[in-house]
Amino acid sequence: MAVRGVDPNEEKKSYGTVFFVGSILLVVVSLWAVFDDNITRRVWKVHQSEFVRTDYERAAAALAKEQERLNADPKYAELVKQRAAEVESLESGEKGARLAELRELQQRVEVEYFDADQEVKFVKSELDEAWYEFDHAVQLGEDAGPYRRHIQELQAQQRALEPALDAARKKRADVKAEIREVQGGVKKIDDQLYALEGDKRKWQRQMDNATVTVGPDGFPQFTLYKIPSIQQVVLKDFDRNNFDQQVERVDRCQSCHIAINRAGFDDLPQPLTTHPKRLTFLSDTAHPPRVFGCTVCHEGQGEAVNSLAQAHGNVKFWEHPLLEDNDVQANCVTCHLNVAGLEGAQVVARGQQIFEQVGCTGCHLVEGYGDIPKVGPSLRKVQAKLDPAWMVKWIEDPREFRPNTRMPHFYFKEDEALAAAAYLWSVSRKEADAWLKQHPAPEGYRSGDTAMVKKGEELARSVGCLGCHGFAEDEFTTRIAGKDLVPNLKDIAAKVNPRWTYNWLLDPKSYNPGTRMPSLRLSEDEARALTAYLMTLGTKPEPDADVVARLEEPANVARGEKLVRKYGCAGCHDIPGMEKESRIGVELTTFGSKPLEELFFGNDTSIKHTWKDWTFNKIHSPRVYATERVEQLMPHFDLPEEDIKALRVLLHGFVERKVPEAFKADHSKRARQISAGRRKVQEYNCVGCHEIDGTGGYVRKYYEKNPTLAPPPLNGQGEKVQANWLFGFLQNPENAIRPWLKIRMPTFGFDGPHADTFVNYFAGLSGIEIPYVHVDEGQVPAGYLEAGRTLFSDDYFECGSCHVRGDKKPEGPVEDWAPDLNLARQRLNPDWIEKWILDPQTLQPGTKMPSFYPGGPEDILGGDEKKQIEALTDYIMTLGLKPAATAKAGGETATESGGTGVEEADKQG
Amino acid sequence: MNRRFPLLAVLALFVTVALTAGAYQPAIAAGGGISGVALFKGTAPKPKKLKVTKDKKRCDQSPKYDESLVVKDGKLANVIVYIAEVKGGKKLEKKGVTLDQNGCRYAPHVLAVPAGADLTILNPDKVLHNIHTYSKINKPMNRAQPKFKKKLKVKFDKPEIMEVKCDVHGWMGGWIFVAGNPYYSITGEDGAFSLTDLPAGKYNVQIWHEKLGTQTKEVEVKAGETAKLDVEFAG
Repeated sequence: MAVRGVDPNEEKKSYGTVFFVGSILLVVVSLWAVFDDNITRRVWKVHQSEFVRTDYERAAAALAKEQERLNADPKYAELVKQRAAEVESLESGEKGARLAELRELQQRVEVEYFDADQEVKFVKSELDEAWYEFDHAVQLGEDAGPYRRHIQELQAQQRALEPALDAARKKRADVKAEIREVQGGVKKIDDQLYALEGDKRKWQRQMDNATVTVGPDGFPQFTLYKIPSIQQVVLKDFDRNNFDQQVERVDRCQSCHIAINRAGFDDLPQPLTTHPKRLTFLSDTAHPPRVFGCTVCHEGQGEAVNSLAQAHGNVKFWEHPLLEDNDVQANCVTCHLNVAGLEGAQVVARGQQIFEQVGCTGCHLVEGYGDIPKVGPSLRKVQAKLDPAWMVKWIEDPREFRPNTRMPHFYFKEDEALAAAAYLWSVSRKEADAWLKQHPAPEGYRSGDTAMVKKGEELARSVGCLGCHGFAEDEFTTRIAGKDLVPNLKDIAAKVNPRWTYNWLLDPKSYNPGTRMPSLRLSEDEARALTAYLMTLGTKPEPDADVVARLEEPANVARGEKLVRKYGCAGCHDIPGMEKESRIGVELTTFGSKPLEELFFGNDTSIKHTWKDWTFNKIHSPRVYATERVEQLMPHFDLPEEDIKALRVLLHGFVERKVPEAFKADHSKRARQISAGRRKVQEYNCVGCHEIDGTGGYVRKYYEKNPTLAPPPLNGQGEKVQANWLFGFLQNPENAIRPWLKIRMPTFGFDGPHADTFVNYFAGLSGIEIPYVHVDEGQVPAGYLEAGRTLFSDDYFECGSCHVRGDKKPEGPVEDWAPDLNLARQRLNPDWIEKWILDPQTLQPGTKMPSFYPGGPEDILGGDEKKQIEALTDYIMTLGLKPAATAKAGGETATESGGTGVEEADKQG
Repeated sequence: MNRRFPLLAVLALFVTVALTAGAYQPAIAAGGGISGVALFKGTAPKPKKLKVTKDKKRCDQSPKYDESLVVKDGKLANVIVYIAEVKGGKKLEKKGVTLDQNGCRYAPHVLAVPAGADLTILNPDKVLHNIHTYSKINKPMNRAQPKFKKKLKVKFDKPEIMEVKCDVHGWMGGWIFVAGNPYYSITGEDGAFSLTDLPAGKYNVQIWHEKLGTQTKEVEVKAGETAKLDVEFAG
């Protein structure tokens, strides 16, 4: 019987095979899924297991070795023996027997105590009752007499019982103490053993940490290697998205890099090795990985654990692949304001210095680098300065004239260079003419006068020009990325004329108010001699009428204006009429996060398509991506490859930062002041002459024979001198401190804010607040000034043998003299003077100032050296005082040698 | 334990005796020596008279001459002859040495002091001196010696030849040789030097002069013989 819709044949079919095959497949796929999920995609498990095993085995080996060492230690062996003997004695020996006796005794005395206590307690309750009845009688106005007597009786009973209770209590305590003492022998030995077994416990702990024990309590348990688990750090508030919302960052790197913050695994291969600079970078005061994770510095795809490529972010569309080698330094600037001098950030610090000093900021705006002054000289009056033919050649190829110049090569053809020069020539005419009118050629200047040239050369090599300029091939003090920060003058006669040179030397700011060239306070005679010398360096070119004629052609001037504007000359130079030109390059504030798709590689197929390769090649050969259609303007800087890489590290760090304060390093006002000061120190090339914060002082190479004739190092200057003095000195320097120096601290013409920047910088470097120094002679302990004077005098330390005091000069040649101590009161910090007297060699290695301590005289201030140093300091701070003040302070008058220098003070005023 | 003790004691005694004998044996059995004269070839310039520029009362009592090249009859003084490395041999005696600054001049001009021994510096001048060593291996030292400090004791631990100067009196200069072993000799006016009690073997002998530089000569020392080594510096 056929039912509608039912196929009887279908009912008879068997699907057994299909179900069978299907279930087999299901089993296989399930197994594969489990396998894939647990093995193939879990490389980190393999690494972790391997590490746990190694960790355990090493700890076990170390433990065995430690045990061996302990066994060999006679003290340890003795303790172990004593402990065994003690235990034996307790269990079955003499002490055991005594302990049994004591325990029995203890039971007895406990009962005795209980009984005695009980009796007293009974009496006490009766007393409570008696008191109640007494109070009750008093309140009802009845006769309380009998009750009072009852109370007295009971009190007498209690007093009678108490001695027995005290005796019982004492007995009980004595027995307890003795039991403790008999048992305590083992504990005492254990304490001693514990002290010896510190290392042993450490290894045991390490072994315990590498294992887990499974199985319920009371049953046999198994010890297994620790089961691998994901190690993750979650940074809840490090990142913010485009809507300024917090984004959690998950960092699982330590699932593989499991020993990154554990000492002693440096020999293991990656990923199991210890961080190569663990103590510097991962210590609790730096970036502990349990707080910071790894990707904050190293980038990569922190969440990913499936494969090496994924975890390191070397996959398509992941924008922050792992930073390799020095590139990781790019992220230092995320949180650190001052990378200069920061350990481990040398490359990015170098990149920063290059970026600031080579002129990148002329064309490119970057947040935080916007206020760096133009690096090139002003061209407002350039017609008064340059030889016209030289100018054309210079624009065409600056490195032909000065191989180490910062001025880049613009790939100009001769006619383009001439056009640019023509424009600059014409726009500078007005201001040049006006300046020339006020600055005539030097009177009495004789070109080539040998006496004058000789004097000029002597001056050039002594007054301080050498601090910045070189006068011969490869003579320089400060170079960065192969570039001379200040021009080498070996061919200067080919470039400038004597009239300009003379007036420039006398007063650089009259020609260019913004110049960094300081005034050396030269006399007219000196400026004339220097000009004569400089004009012998290089060959004066013959006037080229042809070039001059072409410079005047209006067509060239018009073409030049377009070129000057297009190539952004005004980014580095001050050019009349172009004061408001904006930077022509792209802004680089977020260049580090520029995705590959936005980088134009042109038609060059030889360059790998990565951010790193694009950037390197762009700096290395700036026009490499230009095509027939796409023009590129960046000039060629000719930087060494290492420096390009350093710049690239800096650029890599140019990304938008929204790091919360908690993660940031010092961003205090002080830190910002140091940062600002460092830039100014670079800008004015202070390090050409002075060693500051451990670098610079390059001019000292000319003073190897006589280092005392070189400018002083300024390490620790903030601590050494008074802020007020420094503030004044920077604005108006003079040679009074070391009058014997031929090299002069020049006048940079710093205004108040500039000087303030430097003062704050030095104070910040020394880590001190700017103290207000007031020396109150009234506070000086009695006898100190006299003692200080005696120590200072020729009978003891003979300080005056080397130190100048105003007009009182030491004997002997000037190079053996030491700074004027009459200025100390205004200039030096008394705390620093004490440190200096105690140990000059530590503050300034190699100084000529010898250490007088330890070894002070016995007969002054009772031979107390600390007091002697204080007394000397107090005395030095009174030198150069006006007579009235000194007399009031010390009750003395200046008479003998080594006195107060009163006469000098008057003259010094 | 008890039974083994006498054996150990005897052994220890034996070792001690053997060691003591080795260390304190005054003359090296089967040792030899090196001796010779340091010569200066050519005519030596006449020593310049030094200008005393300060503390003249104390410092300028007798004329002072530049001592950086002292030659007499072709013989060169102030040469240090030493062997930097000797295996075995005599032990260095840590005997103290004195450097005198009398009249603002270092005497001797070139001085040898055993490493670790006391160097006593005298200041009979009644003026301030300072002792500033330009050392590279030992820690540089710059100690004041005011007039009330007639004696100053210092020590140098590592072998080195270092210049010593007084910053108060620019003309004062000398040299200190810190010896690491007893095999050294400084020539006097006769230019003669001798090293004795050297174990037989081949040695690199260093010959140093402050102005004329260092020479190295290989010398073979045979037991019981004194090897001749003549040294010549050209002017």
